[in-house]
Amino acid sequence: MSLKRTIAAIAAGAAMFAAGAAQADWAPGGPLSLQIGFAAGGSTDTIGRIVAKVLRDQTGWNVVAENKPGGGGIAMFTGIANRPADGSVVGLGVSMPILVNLVTRPDKLDFDLDSFDYLATAARAQLALVARADAPFDDVAGLIEYAKTHDGAALAFDAKPQELAMRKVAQMAGIKFQYLSTKGGSANAKLILGGQAIAGFEAGEHLPFLESGELKMIASMNESRHNYAPDTPTLPEQGFAIYVDPVFFFATTAGTPEDAREALVAALAAALDSDEVREVVGNTLKSPIVNMGPEGTRKMLDDGLANVGQLFAQ
Amino acid sequence: MPELSMILAGLGDAFSLQTLAFVLFGVITGQFVGAVPGIGPVMAMAIAIPFTFGFDALAGIGFLVGVNKGGLVGGAIPAVLLNTPGTPDAAATALDGYPLARQGKPLKATKMALFASVTGDTFSDIVLITVSAPLAVLALRMGPVEVLGLMMLAFAVIAGLMGSSLSKGFIAAALGLLCAMVGTDPEHATPRLFFGQYELYDGLPLPAVAIGMLAIAELLNRLARSGGVRAAVTMPERQSAADKRVSWAEYWACRYTIARGALIGTVLGALPGIGSTAAAFMSYASARQASRDPGSFGKGSLHGIAAAESANSSVMGANMIPLLTLGIPGNVSAALIISAFMIHGVQPGPFLFEQQGRLIYGLFGAMIVANAMNLLVGQIGLRLWVRVVSAPESFIFSTALLMCFVGVYLASGGIFGIGVMLAFAVLAFVMNAFGFSVVVFIIAFFLGPRLEISLSQTLALLDGHPLRLLDYPFGLALMALAGATGIYLARRRQFDAPE
Repeated sequence: MSLKRTIAAIAAGAAMFAAGAAQADWAPGGPLSLQIGFAAGGSTDTIGRIVAKVLRDQTGWNVVAENKPGGGGIAMFTGIANRPADGSVVGLGVSMPILVNLVTRPDKLDFDLDSFDYLATAARAQLALVARADAPFDDVAGLIEYAKTHDGAALAFDAKPQELAMRKVAQMAGIKFQYLSTKGGSANAKLILGGQAIAGFEAGEHLPFLESGELKMIASMNESRHNYAPDTPTLPEQGFAIYVDPVFFFATTAGTPEDAREALVAALAAALDSDEVREVVGNTLKSPIVNMGPEGTRKMLDDGLANVGQLFAQ
Repeated sequence: MPELSMILAGLGDAFSLQTLAFVLFGVITGQFVGAVPGIGPVMAMAIAIPFTFGFDALAGIGFLVGVNKGGLVGGAIPAVLLNTPGTPDAAATALDGYPLARQGKPLKATKMALFASVTGDTFSDIVLITVSAPLAVLALRMGPVEVLGLMMLAFAVIAGLMGSSLSKGFIAAALGLLCAMVGTDPEHATPRLFFGQYELYDGLPLPAVAIGMLAIAELLNRLARSGGVRAAVTMPERQSAADKRVSWAEYWACRYTIARGALIGTVLGALPGIGSTAAAFMSYASARQASRDPGSFGKGSLHGIAAAESANSSVMGANMIPLLTLGIPGNVSAALIISAFMIHGVQPGPFLFEQQGRLIYGLFGAMIVANAMNLLVGQIGLRLWVRVVSAPESFIFSTALLMCFVGVYLASGGIFGIGVMLAFAVLAFVMNAFGFSVVVFIIAFFLGPRLEISLSQTLALLDGHPLRLLDYPFGLALMALAGATGIYLARRRQFDAPE
């Protein structure tokens, strides 16, 4: 390489460095570990990996996506709570399993909601109660009627809060359901489509089946209606004051210095706002990006804790 | 019926230079990561997925399919050459592949694995392309009771692999089931046997257990015994050409074994969640049962290799049946392919063929192309690997050991996984020393959670009324078949025992 080109290259490098420095004063001292609280091959994994890639592209930081499965994020957050608060790690988890554990076995966890600084939320999983299109009911009241005349009704679920919500419904209505526990939404779909379950829970996998007319939506299990089904009422709207609201959120160790925290909040907000992340998350979850910001994330978890507490108080 | 022009357009896409290049790159990557003990194709796919967003859909998915298919072929290589399978399904290949390699015929052993693997894979791809729709309907009918019956049948068939002592076999299986119970129970979501370790909430990580028991235990064993400088695999100086290749006659002699393996793999693959390990061992066990010379199994039988490889590879194509028609992934690699579809805005499900016909036929074309490339790359790659492992064993084993550590670290989320891997390596070492079958342990461990969840679902469906079982005639028939197989194998064992 000629001297002239070397100088030009150095100058270009310096200019880029200066531009980066102007954008944010803080950068991680080493690699930034973006930990995903679930194993490879699920929606959390997809969100974590695309956010890590865009963060890397946008900030130039060495962002490393790592899967830390175990207990729906409990293992990962236990680790993060006990890390030095230097902004070198960001965890991506889902609110429901964390809240359920905080409610059911708080004394056995190494953390509580104060153990973290909250950075952002990515999206809300829109959880639906669905049934086969040929089921002789269209709403929760109809499902209850069906269970009365058929000695129960088999429901497919893949997380404890879903089961608890339906147990509450059954208790309030004085009926019983049969609960088929599975490993995920697609396994629920298989049981419903195969006729082994009459209804079950889905968070996006059901959309093509709604379109094809093989499944129908009975209720939104979230606090609000779903963007793709504005006419289907929520469970509270159908007379049962219960909801399940899983939100994907980012957090780091509590006590992280303010400049580091602000840099992470800004970087995540920018990444979540990028077209690439919008498209991938939209395609994967079928729900839009919702970034509630640091305070909004904390409030969502505080409210969620009260709601889950109610769910478990049977 | 889709239009011919769309099928042709799709196939044309598959043969575009860009797609061919990505598939080839995927196959090479897959064979490489599959052959390195520890790092498997699943991890390679997970890492590659965000990057496929930048490619066009067919190139990205073709690449992942290439990695997956290449990994199936590559996975047999360490199992055969070093007896260090990186995944439980390759453990079945090692049963006969490794003895044959020890006899100085490593090329013959790996080539048989390659040919059987590509044959099984192609068979299941053809089934996928031609009859996926009716098969998917059939798979839907397989509810919890039927799956429970199938799991019982799998356990009964695999009991045939228990070796000389029935009681030791049962102890190994019970131990495997016990370890499978660690984690959150599927019915009530209460943590079991996790001793305060939150990493164990989702159970003992399968990659750590499998690599620890299968690969690390063997590596430790060999490192402990090795003295002086020796090649990891020795090939006789002068070797006849016949020992380096698989002749057409040898391949043809295995045709029924391969066909049976491909059929078992395809059927099990079409049912989500059962997986290639059960297929490989069921095929191996039934090939041995059907053989006129069952004594040759475990001593380097080509039939043994062919049975295992044709079955575990044919799971791959069949796994795409529930994936493409219902959007239901059968295993982790299928789940990763779904995420690749979804980030491109393609939702697997009932409209897939209608809305994305061209992409799907492109994918089918890419799968067939990947099989051909697997054969080609394998032919060249195998020679290379056999040369690599003729390096001194101290070098090969320590490198392999390091790769196992790296792979388990990545796949099971850190140092904890490495601890699990080492603990199970020690357990396997002890089990081997006292004549307990590690393979039986692994199969029980692998199938345990599937057995439990289908049992729990069945019990929920019966709701305390055992007579409701009569509503599931096919499930009952499978259970009866499982019972009959168990009795038959037990009698045969008594009959064989005096030998």
